[in-house]
Amino acid sequence: MTAGDIAAVKKGGRPRKSAWRRTALIWLSRYGAILGLLLMVAFFSINAPGIFLSRANFLNILSQASLTAIIASGLTCTLVVGEFDLSIGYVASFVGLIVTGLMANEGLPIWLSIVGALALGATIGIVNGLLVTKVRINAVISTLGVGTMLTGLGFTYSAFPIATGIPRAFTDISLGRLVFGMPNPVIIMVVVLFALWVILNKTDIGQKMQAVGSNMEAARLSGIRVDRIKIFAFAIAGLCAALTGTLLSSLLGSGTLAAADGYLLDAFAAVFLGSATLREGEFHIVGTLVGVLILAVGFNGLSIFGAPTHFQPIFKGGILILAVGMSALARRYVASA
Amino acid sequence: MTSSPAPAAWMQIRGLTKSFAGELALDHADLNIERGKLHGLVGANGAGKSTLIRCLAGVTTPDEGEVTIDGETLPLGSPQASERAGLAFIHQELNLVAQFSALQNMLLGAPKVTRLGIIDWRRSGVAARAAAERIGIRFPLETKVSELSVAQRWLVMIGKALARDASMIAMDEPTASLSAPESAQLFAIIRDLSAQGVAILYVSHRLEEVLQLCDRITVLRDGRIVDEAQRGGLDKKGLVSAIIGHAVRPPDARNRFSADRGVQPIFSARRVGWKHAVKDVSLDVYKGEVLALGGLVGAGRTEFAHLAAGLNQPNSGYFELAGRRLDLASVADAVRAGIALAPEERRSQGVMLQQSVGFNINVATLTKLRSLPGLPFVSAAKAKRQADRLIADLGIKTSGAGAKIAGLSGGNQQKALIARWLNAGVKLLILDEPSRGVDVGAREEIHDAIRGLARSGVAILVISSDVEELTLLADRVLVMHEGRISGELVGADITEARIIELSYHDAGAASREQGDAA
Repeated sequence: MTAGDIAAVKKGGRPRKSAWRRTALIWLSRYGAILGLLLMVAFFSINAPGIFLSRANFLNILSQASLTAIIASGLTCTLVVGEFDLSIGYVASFVGLIVTGLMANEGLPIWLSIVGALALGATIGIVNGLLVTKVRINAVISTLGVGTMLTGLGFTYSAFPIATGIPRAFTDISLGRLVFGMPNPVIIMVVVLFALWVILNKTDIGQKMQAVGSNMEAARLSGIRVDRIKIFAFAIAGLCAALTGTLLSSLLGSGTLAAADGYLLDAFAAVFLGSATLREGEFHIVGTLVGVLILAVGFNGLSIFGAPTHFQPIFKGGILILAVGMSALARRYVASA
Repeated sequence: MTSSPAPAAWMQIRGLTKSFAGELALDHADLNIERGKLHGLVGANGAGKSTLIRCLAGVTTPDEGEVTIDGETLPLGSPQASERAGLAFIHQELNLVAQFSALQNMLLGAPKVTRLGIIDWRRSGVAARAAAERIGIRFPLETKVSELSVAQRWLVMIGKALARDASMIAMDEPTASLSAPESAQLFAIIRDLSAQGVAILYVSHRLEEVLQLCDRITVLRDGRIVDEAQRGGLDKKGLVSAIIGHAVRPPDARNRFSADRGVQPIFSARRVGWKHAVKDVSLDVYKGEVLALGGLVGAGRTEFAHLAAGLNQPNSGYFELAGRRLDLASVADAVRAGIALAPEERRSQGVMLQQSVGFNINVATLTKLRSLPGLPFVSAAKAKRQADRLIADLGIKTSGAGAKIAGLSGGNQQKALIARWLNAGVKLLILDEPSRGVDVGAREEIHDAIRGLARSGVAILVISSDVEELTLLADRVLVMHEGRISGELVGADITEARIIELSYHDAGAASREQGDAA
């Protein structure tokens, strides 16, 4: 028997079967997160039709998702350029204090207070970016340091007379429904996400961001000013965090200490869930939105079924590991096959 | 299919087949490997050499086929089984831990452990020291790997294989980063090993080396074994045509472009110095010229290229572009001025692996691809048109601009990196080792692209350690030795012998080393 004969005998259904499995796994790694989201929606709709499946509840989910989505899409930008920003939650909390302070204590007009708050967020982002690119401190350390300092600054600031007498018009921003009866934060989220999607995918600065994230040295040698691109990404993350902080203050009707700190983990969970969606291991805005929605639907469903609040972090951590782990396994299987 | 008439072969590979994403990377490969024989494995990139090696190493599981060693079937797809069977693999990247000593590295993964689970360095050192003696390692084994030269690291890897009683060592491009005398030393060790009964599987693009060294040569093309010859059964020409599947056209080396020296050079270096690596380098590059920078690895050529491209700033001296003094603070400045570098390390500094071929080609010209000049939006249509055109112009083999560049062979990735600069309006393109790790056929296509670019009026500075490449490609050659330019060669003077001579600066020493190598 020659080698050829052996090969002919061995050629059975095996290659076809493994090819099928491969396709299924690739499909699962790309669409698994979306599939999970749909399954969750279906499950809650069947088991709690009256409560879950209503326009009011859907709007509720979207409103809750919108603040996370805004801060998470800013974080997405820093991850796209291959950096980290651990300060975003603290930036949002700090800016939330400042924006109400500017209005109530300094008597600035609402629009000016908001512009000031957003500018402050962007500036903090730029400081982060400068620390990472020019001083060359690892992003994890520098953004953690900046974030920690902001917590302290927040305490210092709120030691002054607490901002009272927030103008009604400011709280109306997050409570109002200016377009199509959709809550304003949802509209703002759509605008921000669309703008960032356009920047990342349709502009040269966005392509440069992706280039820097893919291979920093290659990007530098292609004539891209890597430092500027990174600083820009940090500025966007700061700006988005400031926007989330401002909206949260409007929603709460006051500037509250450490109010937005928890958004950091939500944002990271959403962004990494998103990186396992549609593309393999890349950070992108659409994926981030899917990640945010998974978290929001999950939280909503849990509370409808009366699960205690401490189930939320268990759910959050579990689903993150599940989604990212699944796509990592699938990728490794595809690579080794 | 012909089955081999040698039934007593030590290792028999039969019908080894592996496909990736429906493409056959290895197509029923049959191969016999004998103990104590030097077996050369050559082929273009993507011909299946790596797949074959990876199957033997157990890193890749073949779809079909079997391997027997001394009549016993080797379980495939298990690195542990391959190691137990005495197969050792030395990859080009040399998987050594830089912070560990040579000895620690040699024992890594297989230390002799005492009953308490603690490594007995003294006892386990015995086998390693014996191995080191066998191959004539002269440096202390306590030296950290980070302090060793590439040649010494190779010795560590070989010692590591021997310390585990390897009966076959596969070596991937061992001489790629070695100087001529270092290569000669390595060859002596390899011959010694084979005389001691170790089988060597020698993978290299350097065909002279393979022809000179190996007892038997196997040529792979498109996953199939297309030729097999005993020593002397093939010459270089035959080998090259077996590799690329057709005869090569003879090199047209006499027809060198000679720049009019009365014309102002496009780019000049004036007494440029940097740290201890670049000393007092002055040179001119003219429009339409391919100027090559020859010399040994470490002669300061790459460092000079980094200065010219704005990656580092010279400590002394300066550059001129078309007669104007240039002060480059960054690569971006250099690119804006019209100077670009295609770097030596293709994977770590060149390609963006997760991105598409089109993205990699267009990344340096994004501003030019805007839909409207004033707005920051990139036109997808313009981007696709540019990528498609450059893919066609350079003959980049890919299923399209949208395909991931990671799926391309090294040669095609390199072409994409050259394509990156074709539309960028560069005046000087610096190519550092443009055909390293690239097969003969792709090398020719890369050379064509470089010549075409020069004829279109771009000045080219090529750095290569492949002396033959310099003679084929250059219009003029400058040779560097220990940071200085040791000589200039033009016209008929551009020969491998002259370049090697100048690389060692001292002509007498050069001929002595040549003697050693032979």
